[in-house]
Amino acid sequence: MHKINKLLQPLVGPIVAIFLGLLAGSIAILVAGGSIAETYSEMWKGAFGSFYFFTSTLSRATPIILIGMGAVIAFRSGFFNLGAEGQMVLGGLSAALVGLYLPGPAWFVCIAALLAGVIAGGLWSAMAGYFDVRFRVNLLITTLLLNYIATLFAGYMVAYPFKDRSGSAAMAQSAMLDSGIWLPKLFKGMAVHAGLVIAVIAVIALYVYLTKSVSGYEARMLGGNPLFAVYGGIKRTSLMITTMFASGGLAGLAGATEVLGSQYRYIDNAFSSADYAWTGIMAALLANANPLGTAVAAFFLAALQTGGMGVELNTEVPLEIGAVIQAVLILFITVKFTLSFWKRRKGRNHDGSTA
Amino acid sequence: MLLEMERITKSYGDVKANRGIDYNLKAGEVHAIVGENGAGKTTLMRILYGMEQPSSGMIKLKGKEVFFADPKEAIRHGIGMVHQHFMLFPNFSVAENIVIGKEPGKVRFDRKTAAAQVEALSNAYGIKVDPWAKAGDCPLGVQQRVEILKVLHQGAEIIILDEPTGVLTPLEVRELLDAIKALTLKGKSFILISHKLNEVMSAADRITVLRDGEVTGTLEASQTNVEQLSKLMVGRSLAPAIKRPSSPKRAVLELNNVSLFGSGSKPLLDSISMNVRAGEIVGIAGISGNGQSELIQAIAGLLAPDQGSISLLGANVTGRSARELRDAGLAHIPEDRYIWGANKSATVAETGMMGHQRRLQRFGLMRGKEIKTLVSDWIQQYSIKAGSLDNQTQNLSGGNLQKLIVARELAQNTPFLIAAEPTRGVDIGAMETIHEQLLRKRDGGGAILLVSSELSEVLKLSDRILVMYEGKIAGELQVSDATEEKLSLLMAGGKRNAQDQ
Amino acid sequence: MDQLLDLALFNSALRVLTPILLAALGGALCARAGLFNVGLEGLMLIGAFTAIVGNHYFSNTALAILFAIACVSIFSLLFAYLSIHLQANVIVVGIAMNFLALGLTTFSLRTIFHVKGAYHNKEMIGLPKWELPLIKDIPVVGDILSGQSPLVYLALVLAGLLWYYFYRTIGGFRFLAAGGNPLAARSIGIRVRRYQYGAVLACGVLCALAGAQLSLGQVTMFTEGMTAGRGFIALVAMMLGQSGPLGVVASSALFGLMDSFSIRLQGLSLPSHFTQMVPYAVTIVAMFFFKDKGFLKDAQSSGSSSR
Repeated sequence: MHKINKLLQPLVGPIVAIFLGLLAGSIAILVAGGSIAETYSEMWKGAFGSFYFFTSTLSRATPIILIGMGAVIAFRSGFFNLGAEGQMVLGGLSAALVGLYLPGPAWFVCIAALLAGVIAGGLWSAMAGYFDVRFRVNLLITTLLLNYIATLFAGYMVAYPFKDRSGSAAMAQSAMLDSGIWLPKLFKGMAVHAGLVIAVIAVIALYVYLTKSVSGYEARMLGGNPLFAVYGGIKRTSLMITTMFASGGLAGLAGATEVLGSQYRYIDNAFSSADYAWTGIMAALLANANPLGTAVAAFFLAALQTGGMGVELNTEVPLEIGAVIQAVLILFITVKFTLSFWKRRKGRNHDGSTA
Repeated sequence: MLLEMERITKSYGDVKANRGIDYNLKAGEVHAIVGENGAGKTTLMRILYGMEQPSSGMIKLKGKEVFFADPKEAIRHGIGMVHQHFMLFPNFSVAENIVIGKEPGKVRFDRKTAAAQVEALSNAYGIKVDPWAKAGDCPLGVQQRVEILKVLHQGAEIIILDEPTGVLTPLEVRELLDAIKALTLKGKSFILISHKLNEVMSAADRITVLRDGEVTGTLEASQTNVEQLSKLMVGRSLAPAIKRPSSPKRAVLELNNVSLFGSGSKPLLDSISMNVRAGEIVGIAGISGNGQSELIQAIAGLLAPDQGSISLLGANVTGRSARELRDAGLAHIPEDRYIWGANKSATVAETGMMGHQRRLQRFGLMRGKEIKTLVSDWIQQYSIKAGSLDNQTQNLSGGNLQKLIVARELAQNTPFLIAAEPTRGVDIGAMETIHEQLLRKRDGGGAILLVSSELSEVLKLSDRILVMYEGKIAGELQVSDATEEKLSLLMAGGKRNAQDQ
Repeated sequence: MDQLLDLALFNSALRVLTPILLAALGGALCARAGLFNVGLEGLMLIGAFTAIVGNHYFSNTALAILFAIACVSIFSLLFAYLSIHLQANVIVVGIAMNFLALGLTTFSLRTIFHVKGAYHNKEMIGLPKWELPLIKDIPVVGDILSGQSPLVYLALVLAGLLWYYFYRTIGGFRFLAAGGNPLAARSIGIRVRRYQYGAVLACGVLCALAGAQLSLGQVTMFTEGMTAGRGFIALVAMMLGQSGPLGVVASSALFGLMDSFSIRLQGLSLPSHFTQMVPYAVTIVAMFFFKDKGFLKDAQSSGSSSR
């Protein structure tokens, strides 16, 4: 009995939060003049209603999972990397450019493009980490502000030097990639592509890294109490830069898989308007930065979004209903956070060091 | 009777911090409370000061029952408390610190009047302070005067002093005791909480001894002695530690002119030269805040010195990282187990394996079984009450966590060990275990640098004693020549006097 | 260069610095109460949106602003409850607040106005431009100062008031005490939480005003995510200004000037992408001059703080 309780206990928080999120969603539906039952059933259909919808949810979840993993590795080490959007954008742009201009066999170009995405996102993120360790510039704020710079820069690149001049000239986008280097689809005619496999591998690798490896242990200790970690001989500087590189690299990889697997070109604002980056960060927050939980949360949030599209198509309720539910979820999850590992140190009168 | 506390009981869950404590105080009296760490002294005072509410029992002031929901009400009833860790605002002026809570003026804060009030107060009670000085810049003795003036300004009749002498120089202690005397003549009453029996004997009229949350005796100071008190405190006579004479060999750690400038006007460390040899314990004595923390951090690789060199086992390690120092042969019991020594949210095993993780790996993966065996062995050997290895570190009591940290660092089996405040805030049993282990390491040829603010600990364990004062080594004594008096003088900066004696 | 630097530049700088200044003052209040409020951006966004909603329903700017204040206060109370009462990590709550603001405003934009992206209505009246008597006739100063929305003047007055509160009143003295050393403040019976709640609520009001200046003072419209990082720039302005009201005014002025300078640069033939980057880049560069405490000190103080 006790064991079952222990297993179920971590689920109580998320279930309550999901319930409250759906409740808030219901209120929003009523305000928008829709029917709750109809809206939620459309949402379910839009996300899981058929194999086609299910695979598009999976396809949407792919970059969110990857970004979530990037957030997990940073958060667990105690670094608030909120720069996933910029890192993803630069990753996507680099992958597109390498895909367009690197000569060589298709499989080679594809892998090189993915790597270019990782490197671009990773370096952009590691730069913020470097600023923090070297110049003590607040990481949370630099990563945030770098988002704007990265998005504007990528926008410029596809609006001027690398603009696609073949088709409709109005769109700021790069030229289309050669179909040989596209990531293969997992099922014929369905949206989900090999990026999902990469994402699943990333989840497993990160899980093993955090729970089993020495370096993962050191990262977690650094996140829990940096002074303890440094005292114990953990090198904060190098761990921070590599962690930030990995975190941004995963976001860059998300951008690269999205370009190579779904969009086949870099389109200005495509990532930002789909809100991949912030959803990925939210997934990590929802799951208490646990890799497996984050993957599940990413899938769930993707379902909310694809479900929201179904809602918009078939009812009066706008698709942003998904955004409302998400936001309420995350707010109530912060309460759960309080009870677990983000907990602030309480007064020091329990520790017995004063008598 | 001015104050009566009757049958006070306080429980936190299953733990009873106070059980049926009776305590009373007469006007103009100093009534001390003594007891070991965890005996319940602080809890009792927090109850009196309204910071905690008793589970049962009652408090009577001048015969009338009172109930304090928060400190504000206790203050209103004329109870003031000077906390062990001063409750000052370092960026505010002395006057601001004293008048806070009862500031002159309606909306606008009249700082001039405040300074005048403080001036008047300080003259009335003969406690000298400069109202315009910045509190954070004042020496600790002055800061304590500020605290006392603050409670007097609040109109306190009963003043609680919680471990008031811990951070004071001997001269400041004497001044404090004189001030207490003078104030009792003006009708103020004092509750003095301390574990230093000598001071209690000289300052108090009556003494109440607590052990495990219970009163084990209330005695007239004139009719008791230190031995009787310590027996009541501990519940048994203490066996003196047996220490064999040391036979130090080659120097393991050497510091040459190490300085650390910091941002203030005075350097934090001022040309420190010293060494620690194999097979000896070198004690660093000093009032806390005289550079000991910085010295530890500089040696342990947590702060790079601005000048000078440090060598470990003959190799120059100046400015090296903590990792490199540990690899070179250093282990370190940190001065604060929560800030440096543990990750509260990690498991016992995870806190325990810190520093050992790179030894216990294969292809970058942790060897879980061996780690578990290792930590379990320590738990047995040091009889640590840890629950399971997956228990969260924050659930361990202070003494048990300290034992875990000591075990972890001794298991490194390094030639050199820093032991900073190794027994701060632990009970007598844990203290005996830790002392025994440190001496065993020394006898096995280890070099130990012991830093402690408890003179008795330094005297008990060290072979050689260095005294730090304002970032300098103020003097060095062999333990055979060292007495509390000589050390106290050096700790107060009175270098010459000590050497003349 | 004549085109780039003239009096109108300073006039527009005053206009664009106002939202940053207001939010930064709110952030400074929170910071001085011991809460690092990352949610400024979200609160400001809600303020901007609800100001437009209020304007739409009441057709009165004063009522619109009051409506915005009321709405933002609800959200700042939520922030306060989660971070003060439930002791949730303030940074996580702040981030969540930003999500909530973005999600809710986008959703409400669709449900209330049935538009996507932006809402603009020619019949809506924005904030009036006040010509200041006397001052407007002073040559240079008049050109810069006069003809702004009332919120611009209010922001400057509030900065002064905050300074007076902090450094001249008993309440402000206790406020600083409560934030500076909560443990010590509590020991003399100061109700620290009360001050923290007050700070967060006041911050909400200031962010509501900041948002209203964005949506009613400059353009009279609302676009999704129209704060565009100004909340974070305000956060940096607050840090650069060391959370002191006067310092915050100075650093906000720097950012305002840069912002209006970047708008001006668009008149040249530079691609707008680069001119739009200027405020963010300047903010990052500015942070290099402000040394954060460094993690060692930071971790030590958070380890010993009481909250």
